[in-house]
Amino acid sequence: MEQYFDAIVIGAGPAGSTAALKMARAGLKVALLERGAYPGCKNIFGGLLHNSPVLNQLVPDFWKTAPIERFVYRKTLAVTTPDSFITLNYATENFTQLPYNGFTVMRPVFDRWLANEAVKKGALLLCNCLVDDLVRRNGKINGVKIKGRNGDLIARVVVAADGVLSFTAEKAGLRKELKPELLGLGIKLLLSLPEEVINERFGLVREQGADFSILGITEGLRGGAFLYTNQESISFGMVIHLDSLKASGYAPYDILIKALQHPLIRRLIKGAVPVEYSAHLVPEGGVRGIPHLYTDGMLVAGDAAGLCYTNGINLEGINLAIASGALAAETIIEATRSGDFSRDFLSLYQKKLENSFVLKDMKTFSNAFEMLRIDRLYQTYPELLCSVFEDIYRVTGTQRERIFKLIRKKSHGKLSLINLISDGIKAARGLL
Amino acid sequence: MINIENISQITRFRTDKESHIILNKEICQTCDQRFCVQICPAKCYTFNESSGRLDVTFENCLECGTCYVICERKAIQWSYPRGGYGVVYRLT
Repeated sequence: MEQYFDAIVIGAGPAGSTAALKMARAGLKVALLERGAYPGCKNIFGGLLHNSPVLNQLVPDFWKTAPIERFVYRKTLAVTTPDSFITLNYATENFTQLPYNGFTVMRPVFDRWLANEAVKKGALLLCNCLVDDLVRRNGKINGVKIKGRNGDLIARVVVAADGVLSFTAEKAGLRKELKPELLGLGIKLLLSLPEEVINERFGLVREQGADFSILGITEGLRGGAFLYTNQESISFGMVIHLDSLKASGYAPYDILIKALQHPLIRRLIKGAVPVEYSAHLVPEGGVRGIPHLYTDGMLVAGDAAGLCYTNGINLEGINLAIASGALAAETIIEATRSGDFSRDFLSLYQKKLENSFVLKDMKTFSNAFEMLRIDRLYQTYPELLCSVFEDIYRVTGTQRERIFKLIRKKSHGKLSLINLISDGIKAARGLL
Repeated sequence: MINIENISQITRFRTDKESHIILNKEICQTCDQRFCVQICPAKCYTFNESSGRLDVTFENCLECGTCYVICERKAIQWSYPRGGYGVVYRLT
């Protein structure tokens, strides 16, 4: 038997649940489909949920009810070689008071909470539902088929929020084949450690959290590692460009396991016990990885829409997912009023994204893509930087050299002036 | 600290009877790239040198899809497991 809805949302992640919440709140009859046994059980991320005014508008003071692990108080950038490291810390009391800037969360817990918020507003959450195919009528997407279930789910519009692999966007002809050069592989190990040990080791009080971005710990591959403190655990993992990994011949977990032994990491995780290992692809192509975002009867949001970016310092995905889900919902609410779900009308979604921080930020940092593909960034520069610092500090009983001369001497044979200028231009274009 | 072969001791799975990963035996037999073996973060793929056979342990699949994206010969027919089956993250 067919079931009818105003809208069907595929995927109860941050994008999908936000869209469902907002549409249900406006009185639409919404089905929120999740292939897992519960929302979040297929989802992983590094660990940081940024401040999200969009979420706060939908669930006021969300941090009071959402399952937050810690409020991020200190951000650390670390540049490493196998036996040395330089860290730059930024800590501020401002981040641990309103408006909080970021929270460590666990996706199987947070996503479940957010989907439940959508349910509270009237959305129908259907778990264990894998979408097998789309239903098309009169040249427009009109619903979905669920694997192993008789009777299609029919709706006036479908939101594809089914993650980075989005087979539904592919079936709708909205995205082409996924390319390794536009993806990163994220792997993560969750390590359990008592709360008091974390607080003492990281210099944190109460619910304060720490966040590390680590460069030079990926065997020279393009990518970086992260470490986040949760209440009683540490998330350690890395994201590596898939094309770089493929060309290297390395197995991803070997790089991760080796990184656990690094002098910086090893003392931070001492005594911790592995409790969960996970992996996920990350859309890392920036604006290059964005598919067509709408067609007749369908919108694409979140990772499925490639809405994720990094400029090397900021890494944002979940807040873009939440914002895109909300804008998809706004578009559908307006389409419902007009009774028009055509591609022409739904192009409004693209305009809304372009006028919001989502596509604006992605465009601002679109050149960071080229910068982050500089192989030297991941080994040559960290080694150079650390060796210069070593010589600045090291006392040998012989004559000291000026820093500029030291840099020139250290970079000899490793880095030409042409390399340096070309990398400098890419970095400036990416960030400045 | 961790042994990827024993991944199911820390990561939870609800295993289906049927595999959601189907290999094209003909292509895989003649493939000398085997990026899948190298790159799968759960070490699901093993190549037996003596028999020349590629095997996949779908039970430990983390559903990242990397093998599917990386295979240049389109030999991996990959879908998500049936609703409710596969990896079940609890905390991460």
